[in-house]
Amino acid sequence: MPAAVNGPAGQAPAGERQTSAWEPLIVAFCCNWCSYAGGDLAGTGRMEYPANVKVIRVPCSSRMNPLFIMRAFQRGADGVLVAGCHPGDCHYSSGNYHVRRRLSAFKQLLEFSGLEPQRFQVHWISSSEGDKFAAVMRSMTGEIKALGPNGKLRDRRWQSIT
Amino acid sequence: MAEHHISAAAKIRAAVAQDLLSGRISLLLGWEKGHFQWQSRPLFARDGADLERLAWDSFCAVNLSRYLPEELKENEKVGVLVKGCDSRALNRLVQDRAVPRERVVAYGLPCPGMLDAGRLVEAAGGWPDEIAEANGRVVLKGGGRESEVHRDSLLLDKCRHCLYPDPVACDQLLLAPVGNREAPDRFKAVEEREQLSAGERYAYWEKELQRCLRCYACRQICPACSCRECFVEQEQPRWLGKAYDASETFLFHLIRAYHVAGRCIDCGECERSCPVGIPLQELNRKLIKDLNALYGPYEAGLDPEREPPLLTYAPNDPAAFTEK
Ligand code: SF4
Ligand code: SF4
Repeated sequence: MPAAVNGPAGQAPAGERQTSAWEPLIVAFCCNWCSYAGGDLAGTGRMEYPANVKVIRVPCSSRMNPLFIMRAFQRGADGVLVAGCHPGDCHYSSGNYHVRRRLSAFKQLLEFSGLEPQRFQVHWISSSEGDKFAAVMRSMTGEIKALGPNGKLRDRRWQSIT
Repeated sequence: MAEHHISAAAKIRAAVAQDLLSGRISLLLGWEKGHFQWQSRPLFARDGADLERLAWDSFCAVNLSRYLPEELKENEKVGVLVKGCDSRALNRLVQDRAVPRERVVAYGLPCPGMLDAGRLVEAAGGWPDEIAEANGRVVLKGGGRESEVHRDSLLLDKCRHCLYPDPVACDQLLLAPVGNREAPDRFKAVEEREQLSAGERYAYWEKELQRCLRCYACRQICPACSCRECFVEQEQPRWLGKAYDASETFLFHLIRAYHVAGRCIDCGECERSCPVGIPLQELNRKLIKDLNALYGPYEAGLDPEREPPLLTYAPNDPAAFTEK
């Protein structure tokens, strides 16, 4: 496939738009104590979820620096997800209370800049919710597929490696 | 300049002279005239001769509090003239522990609102040679023309939206209070933008941000941006590339706005100092509006004892995403 060049006004690279075999890239930041373990449980329980999701483990959902999210979109993510323990269950007791406020503000700022709401999501998934982990990944992949490739916030110099 | 301004400058000079000459403060941050009548630039006064140049007129928009963290490295005690917005900036810096309050003497100047050079030129039909003010009206002379306009029509955008023209915190009030002002709804532009589709919004920001020079004047003037090392210059990791790619500019703007979320005092200095007219206040106000709606009304810079919304939480907080 030829090197992709970003299209105008936040459209995805021409190469990606034309490929019928396009598969979305979703980056999921999962907290070590709940959601990552939930993903493990989904795995050991042989529950299926799409391979589009690339999981990055973070020590706590409050470790999320919004720069991580921006960088993921710059380098080709079609969707970004942050998953952490349910409020009240944080391993560090208050991490997710803080991040609930921060990511609420940042999510709405992203949408204000023109990103579709589905492209950045936050979910609470506990270590016993393997089924929820798989369901969230399936539904997000479906939503992003329906939206199509993302070109917004994307670095024009980033080359498609699909 | 208008009579009351001349006498006001003299009053200010007299009030601060004692502190500066006695050594209670070793530096006074004020304003002096620039090359043109419509320019008043920061003055760093160290002695009586410097003080002679002190000016107080309708062009003293630059927020002087922002110089405090740097100047306090060299001076034990610094005096600063504060308008309403500057005093909230001082509160901001004190609350962020960027400035020890006991090392600052703040002289309060109730503010009539500062004038916009661009609007002056428009009203005068060219650069005016002479600007005179009286009774809420401004007379502009130049190029054989003379025009008289209502002072309010020449105000800077940031002053139109100002709710607190009187200093909210100072050690000494030097002039008579002007009283709080009624301001047009500051969230109007944000609400209009919210009505657009995602695609239209992205196109809007792409077009606006295209002009950004990444000079970082907006950060440099910001009283909430007092980090010793900004993410913009950070090397490890290098968050922001040096290229003029739209994605880098988006990254800068969204992260800058987010970093001041809950702490932005809405003084409008970023937008005023931007050389290319980026609507930075729209991003800041979007965050102020959302945080107010989600976590309760909060006016940054008013009360240094009250915790900014992103530094605290309540267990039953709402979220802007589904928590099912
Ligand atoms: S002051 Fe204006 S041009 Fe300079 S970095 Fe800020 S937004 Fe960009
Ligand atoms: S943009 Fe962020 S990192 Fe840079 S000075 Fe402002 S708050 Fe600090």
